[in-house]
Amino acid sequence: MRLLTRLLAVALLVGVTWTCGSAVDAGTAPEPMKPALAFPTEPVTIEVWWHEYGPFTAYVKELIEAYKRLHPNVTINPTIASSTDMNQKLTVALAAGTGPDIMDADASYYVAYYAKGVLEPANLDVFGVKSYQELAARYVSGGLASGTFDGKIYTLPYQGNSMSLFINNKLLAAAGLDPKRDAPKTWKDLMAMCPKLKKVEGKRTVRKAFEFPYHSPRWQLQDLQPMTEQFGGKILSDDGKTAYLNSPETVKALTLWRDVTKECGDPKNTKNTASNPNQDFLDGFTAMWITGPWATPQVVASPIKNDFTVVGLPQVDPSKPRTMVYGWAWGVNKNKPEKNKIVAWDFVRFMLSKPDEWLAKAGFVQPVKGVSETEVAKRFPFFDVHMKDVQTATWYLRSENVNEIAQAVGRAVDSVVYDDADPKAALDAAQAAVEKVLKK
Amino acid sequence: MGDHLSASASTQSPLFRKSLRLNIAAKQALFGYAILLPTLAIIVIFRFLPMLQAFYISFHEYDLIRPPRFIGFDNFIDLLQDPLFLHSARVSVTYVVFSCVPVWVVSLALAMLFNREIRAKNFFRSAAFMPVVMPAVVNAVVWTFMYHQDGVVNTILGWFTLDPIPWLRSSRWALWAVIIIGIWRATPYYMVIFLAGLQAIPQEYYDAAQIDGADAWGQFRHITLPLLKPTTLLVMVLSVIVAMKVFAVPLIMTGGGPADSTRVLPLFIYQTAFEFFKMGRAAAMSVFLFAAVMIFTIFQIRLFSRGEE
Repeated sequence: MRLLTRLLAVALLVGVTWTCGSAVDAGTAPEPMKPALAFPTEPVTIEVWWHEYGPFTAYVKELIEAYKRLHPNVTINPTIASSTDMNQKLTVALAAGTGPDIMDADASYYVAYYAKGVLEPANLDVFGVKSYQELAARYVSGGLASGTFDGKIYTLPYQGNSMSLFINNKLLAAAGLDPKRDAPKTWKDLMAMCPKLKKVEGKRTVRKAFEFPYHSPRWQLQDLQPMTEQFGGKILSDDGKTAYLNSPETVKALTLWRDVTKECGDPKNTKNTASNPNQDFLDGFTAMWITGPWATPQVVASPIKNDFTVVGLPQVDPSKPRTMVYGWAWGVNKNKPEKNKIVAWDFVRFMLSKPDEWLAKAGFVQPVKGVSETEVAKRFPFFDVHMKDVQTATWYLRSENVNEIAQAVGRAVDSVVYDDADPKAALDAAQAAVEKVLKK
Repeated sequence: MGDHLSASASTQSPLFRKSLRLNIAAKQALFGYAILLPTLAIIVIFRFLPMLQAFYISFHEYDLIRPPRFIGFDNFIDLLQDPLFLHSARVSVTYVVFSCVPVWVVSLALAMLFNREIRAKNFFRSAAFMPVVMPAVVNAVVWTFMYHQDGVVNTILGWFTLDPIPWLRSSRWALWAVIIIGIWRATPYYMVIFLAGLQAIPQEYYDAAQIDGADAWGQFRHITLPLLKPTTLLVMVLSVIVAMKVFAVPLIMTGGGPADSTRVLPLFIYQTAFEFFKMGRAAAMSVFLFAAVMIFTIFQIRLFSRGEE
């Protein structure tokens, strides 16, 4: 009895302590697409969720007000969450039946939402088209690849970002390099520039020539994926069932990553964080850095101002360029009343109807045809470079297990860079971990 | 009138008075339970039911949206063969051992210091307690800056001609960086608990020991330590449970990296549940963690009880 009482007391103490603890001006826009269906006339309220990014939030709020003026019977309730929390909040809400009518998610996550049966295919009548092919024809080649499942389009991207090389002109000039003439086309070119750009005082690195990302495994996969493809490999099979993390091509990519890092960077010394991924470049601590066009407003607002250059992602073989595109997209919740789904898709159509405004006000590149010809695109710094990289890109890995794959890749990269592990051994471990996940 | 008199007489009978006393006692007990009920309901609904639910989910494959699928003990068997889980368990054990043991020693030493008559004692006590008052997130952000190559910590090392340490960007150092914060944050809390224990020891015991010729070490060993036993047990149990649950600091400062070197079990559970959406597997990990803490706590209590017997 005494033992039982003690056990109960311990369970209560552990239980209570356990649970209590630790406790941009718009130019000429393409003609907005018009819906060709009967729009609900009764009052309709829809919920829209999106991830927090100042200029983006301001623009979507502007669009909501404009849409409400067009459709006074529609009420749109916004919810904004941080980009890192969005997938979690969305999944939990969809599970609880309290998900929004319109969701905003990283394009790579939609495959999981599709598999879980919560996505409504695009309403063709709303877009005034007869087929998904007709809708896809409005986008650049592969522009809708991230949200197309079994031949149907389920999500539409409001940003399809290239990952291109940003260069701090002043730092290059100070090293006797010309940002235009000397800009690297290949990884070999980039490594050849590093000794001039990297500065070490005693044991302290005071300037890095170039750096890969170390603040997030997803960013690490973002760079390793195109590098692997540049060597002729891929991370995952098209059906998402087979991983090639320890293939000779991926090993070559990670070996190149390590060599570039040793020559150009200092991964032990960075202020980059998930919420400020470009910080070292903005501070002038890193001379060259791979990021997306959305970083342009940040760079212009930093001490760098307009004194920067953007060139295409360095290549292994410039005659066979391979790059990566990633982005965020709108999707509509299948488990909502029919009238809500019509209004939701119509609001998505309305939001996406002015790609030049998206570029001007949020810095986001919609992968639609014709955007390059707009005045805004012509004024946007290095827009042609970004679009060129998009045209040779594959979308960020599409898998229900994308986060686990990114974690495995991040672990392999970290162990090679920080612990001098052999790239092949590190990728063997990553392959074993991912195979286990994919088998399930 | 007659009825009234008769009723009055009956209320004064010894039997009635006894039953009235029982009724009052029962009413008081009921009132007590009624006051406890809301708190009890909150604890049961928001604490224990989710724990039971976690036990239930641990036997299922569940991604939050698709219905749970019963898979028996598969999650548990799989975890025991999973190198990532075993690595995280090792990281957690390392964190617990190397953060708790120094906390016990330093917090007791500080409590003894602040139990003496020193100048500005209350100011120092309050100042020492500051890390406990600061939210974990604030601690993590501030320490991230302090650990930077040009941060306060490396500047101090520089005064002693020591090279800067890549505290958070090295798989060799990152866990130690997190452990240091754990010690810094927990020590004042347990210091206060020890202080309360010390103040409960009658001064007469020390006076008597002095008369008998006991030195400071003798007094500490034969009076302070034995009489602090219940307090020490509380500190040890609480500190281990809290250390086993460390989450916010590694999440914010390192995200579990580099190379999983700071991926403590609660962080891995969080990632498995809310990044990989494998709720069953995450629940099974939680059950393992719960069992580990439970076993450790029972072990500690038995150890201390044996001494008493």
